Amino acid sequence: MAIIERPSDAVEVVDETTPSVATPESSYGVFRRPVETTGWKSWLFTIDHKKLGIMYGVVAMFFFVVGGIEAMLLRLQLAGPNGTVLSADKYNQMFTMHATTMVFLFVMPMAAAFANYFVPLQIGARDVAFPRINAFGFWAFLFGGLFLNTSWFLGGGADGGWFMYAPNSSVAFSPSNGVDFWGLGLQITGVASLTGAINLIVTVINLRAPGMSLMKLPIFTWMVLVVQFLLLFAIPVITVALFMLMFQRSFDATFFSVEAGADPLLWQHLFWIFGHPEVYILVLPSFGIVSEILPVFSKKPLFGYPLVVFSGAAIGFVGWGVWAHHMFASGLGPISVAAFSVATMAIAIPTGVKIVNWTLTMWGGKLRFTVPMLYSVGVIVQFTIGGLSGVTHSVAPSDTQQTDTYYIVAHFHYVIFGGAVLGLFAGMYYWWPKMFGKMLNERLGRVNFWFTIIGMNLTFGPMHIVGLQGQPRRMYVWTENRAGDGFFNIGFWNLIASIGSFVLALGILLFFVNIYVSHRKGTEKAPLDPWDARSLEWITTNPPKEHNFDRLPQVGHLDEFFHRKYEDRGSDGHHEFHQIATAEEVVAEEENNADGHIHLPSPSYWPILLAFSLPIMAYGVIYNVFLLIGGAVLGLVSFYGWGLEPHTAPEDDYDPPTGTAMEVAAHG
Amino acid sequence: MSHEKVHYRTICNSERATSSLGTMSSRGFRVATTVAGVAATTVLAGCASDAPQDTWKPAGPNAQKIQDLQWPIFLTAGIVGVIVMAFIAFCVVKYRDRGQAIPDQAHGKAWLEYLFIAIPAVILTAIAIPTVGVVMALNDTDDTECVINVTGQQWWWEYDYEVGADGTICGYAPSEVAASPIITSGQLVIPADTKVLLRGTSRDVIHSYWIPRLNGKRDMVPGRVHFLRLESDTPGIYAGQCTEFCGLSHANMRMETVVLESAHFQRWIDNELEPYQAPAEGSLAAEGETTFIAQCSRCHQVNGLVDPGNGNLVVSYPDQFVYSGAAPNLTNFLGRNTFAGATWDLLTPQCRTDVWESSPEDFGDKYLAGVSQDCLNEIDLREWLRNAPAKKPMYADPAMLEQSDGKVRGMPYLGLSEDQIDQLIAYLLERK
Repeated sequence: MAIIERPSDAVEVVDETTPSVATPESSYGVFRRPVETTGWKSWLFTIDHKKLGIMYGVVAMFFFVVGGIEAMLLRLQLAGPNGTVLSADKYNQMFTMHATTMVFLFVMPMAAAFANYFVPLQIGARDVAFPRINAFGFWAFLFGGLFLNTSWFLGGGADGGWFMYAPNSSVAFSPSNGVDFWGLGLQITGVASLTGAINLIVTVINLRAPGMSLMKLPIFTWMVLVVQFLLLFAIPVITVALFMLMFQRSFDATFFSVEAGADPLLWQHLFWIFGHPEVYILVLPSFGIVSEILPVFSKKPLFGYPLVVFSGAAIGFVGWGVWAHHMFASGLGPISVAAFSVATMAIAIPTGVKIVNWTLTMWGGKLRFTVPMLYSVGVIVQFTIGGLSGVTHSVAPSDTQQTDTYYIVAHFHYVIFGGAVLGLFAGMYYWWPKMFGKMLNERLGRVNFWFTIIGMNLTFGPMHIVGLQGQPRRMYVWTENRAGDGFFNIGFWNLIASIGSFVLALGILLFFVNIYVSHRKGTEKAPLDPWDARSLEWITTNPPKEHNFDRLPQVGHLDEFFHRKYEDRGSDGHHEFHQIATAEEVVAEEENNADGHIHLPSPSYWPILLAFSLPIMAYGVIYNVFLLIGGAVLGLVSFYGWGLEPHTAPEDDYDPPTGTAMEVAAHG
Repeated sequence: MSHEKVHYRTICNSERATSSLGTMSSRGFRVATTVAGVAATTVLAGCASDAPQDTWKPAGPNAQKIQDLQWPIFLTAGIVGVIVMAFIAFCVVKYRDRGQAIPDQAHGKAWLEYLFIAIPAVILTAIAIPTVGVVMALNDTDDTECVINVTGQQWWWEYDYEVGADGTICGYAPSEVAASPIITSGQLVIPADTKVLLRGTSRDVIHSYWIPRLNGKRDMVPGRVHFLRLESDTPGIYAGQCTEFCGLSHANMRMETVVLESAHFQRWIDNELEPYQAPAEGSLAAEGETTFIAQCSRCHQVNGLVDPGNGNLVVSYPDQFVYSGAAPNLTNFLGRNTFAGATWDLLTPQCRTDVWESSPEDFGDKYLAGVSQDCLNEIDLREWLRNAPAKKPMYADPAMLEQSDGKVRGMPYLGLSEDQIDQLIAYLLERK
């Protein structure tokens, strides 16, 4: 891999637009390693965590739009009684794919985008521990997601709901290939998540900057770490379940065949043992983002940092013991139900801790309501509503009235949209200048925020009413004779929810408008430290250089950057903080003491090729065994190619005496 | 204004009147009751016409147990929510940046953090204890007085009233004939003030039995038997809906539980077990009987039906054609007032209101009258007979169903002529 022989006075590294001039040859095989720094190849074969992070984000936003359009169609169908926008079959496919897309192809990868981009920056590392595996993870996610969605053109999407309960998922009840696409696609994205999890765990454990003990780890990185452990243990469970489903449908296995003696509840247990930790996989990254943003805009450290860390870890642990609260109506028997009911209540405690600590972070602060801050406060408020409705159905008898009604739909949209998605938007506004060197427009951002908040409450708020009035989920029509006609009538509130979904969509659209407006020609470059931030990712340029930091930062404080900028000149218990350095000065100090040797990994063909073999094999499972074998061969070749490729290129490939040429090469 | 509204308003008003009658004479109390009255009016404004599946309007002891448990918890959650929101709002307003100094970089206060662990812990413990109690109570089935088998299939429910060891059905002996099992579908008829235990399973995928005003829901899982208690002291029709996603026509899988007081339940049993009465010779209904035998009896059973052509008893063998091996028993089809998974009404809207919204005292007679010719909702029934899968999405085309050996789910398109439909309707009008 590339080694930059850097003159010690090098400050600005390279002009990113300079084309590549050096093409190092591989010591093995016939392939030259790709070293382009611009153009499509620089993205296709990159193993730079920042480029991968951006690609995760772009693809996730694409799927967000896809899932959003699916949601709009659902709401159009339900706006009035006996809707005719979608057929029953299409409606069932639509809600299945809406949930699948939003969970697996938007929220998870969007969190992965931030994790990829910012974990190395927050811990003062130059990349993740396994850069090629990182690239593989991204491509596996992309190909898995695209594979999943090709089902729309090949006989229809999966139609069994995202929970895909057996035996309704078996061929007799779901004869199209939709469920096959679903099961195989999620196995592929599961591989992506697993590799990502291992990678980030090793990165955080091993690559922290000198001085950064675990209790000085930025809170976002902490939450990401917890999530990676959840993924590490949850993904195998769903993979086993999906593997069984694949054999059930494609190879006549009888794991879920009642007539052969199987118990359909097996699937439910497997699914929810994955499915409940999954909820925390979705929200904890956003909790981390919010926990980064609130201190910055309150100009105070996070209140009770250790407790927020431990409560995150506690959620991670207890999250494994509550899965059967999705099954209170499944007929588990009173002892199990009572036990899971109480365990579910217990998990409200660490979750409550977070809300209290966020609010106490603001207490006594110096609050600046920028757009990221607005979104963060939005998370606290909306998630609190979702959390409280969550407590009402931790009460198992109450839940037997609410489960599978719109009350649940309302609850988890407040949790996932209000908690996770708003947090992700907070992160986008907060880190946009860091990632792209431009500020997103604040004024437009406010409009974006208010449309989103009002839209989400109009959409999901009425679902509480509709659900408590007894409207079940997953019905392609509702009818007037079950709607009632008082203030709480189902018809009116369904209409409001549908109108709300359009307000919400408009809010999201404004975000894209904002990107366009903020990146038009002539918009100013973002300042180095636009928010007066506190953590390590801001001690470098916007966007960061390829190698992130000229000098690996030495960490002495939890909020290292803040303490480099401000000094406490108070005495006798009286505090008085004064600015002692600007961000520019702090960064210049690092650049002036740049490390001599900077090792960066270089790009590779193999990750994308290996990832590409996965959907080919998956199509093979559905259509043709020879396709399966072909995909497997490509995978095997890629495996060996990858294995034989030196993970550090021999020095003589890369070590001309000096010069900019090699620096450029290193950017490939 | 519909009959239903007037009626319910009366109930609501009388409830309000009763509650304010119990007031004290002192002035303070009068003020308090006025405030409470306004609050009650606000709440009861919804009472008049809430949806039939309202989960907050229990009509039996099981649902009541849930309600008694959940309303204080909703209230607590609401109060906690308001406090948290107020706290957030306070911080947002009070600590907005107005040029104040950079605050102390303190990392927290231990006692405050412990306090905020302790508070939710205490609240949640207070919630957990009664929750466990109610879970246990709802699953206590020792004092069951009547067991009815419930079987779900795509997309309707079948009920099977077994004859107990004492020769009775739920303690009721038929007046004129020996007891034999009763099989019905869609509308479950139970006696009032009786602890009924549903013993449920499924013939294909997982379904869930849910009558919100009587109890929470319980999944009915193929290969397993699950139990659910239902009980009510108020005669009436209680609406429900399958709440476990069960495939294509999940939305069209509904059910009702009909509660009849003792004498009416006796009449219902007697009627169900009444011997088959063939239509008058030469009548349109008699032609309908022939059509029924030719077109419908392959899947649908009418108990006691004899083929006049050969004198043989007509017995359906639905397992040949239908995945679940069952189609609704039509012996007393128009004794029920909904059809096709209880999704469409057999009663015209006006007659429906009359039965569904009748007072508990009048309900039994009105329900047992069944569907008369004048009250028959011919629109939906004819559409159904013309082309059932067009009305309710079903996997009803055997050619499309290789994977399940061509066995259909639901009623296929039969290509009946309008004459045949007239005959069938005449025949079915006598099935009650």
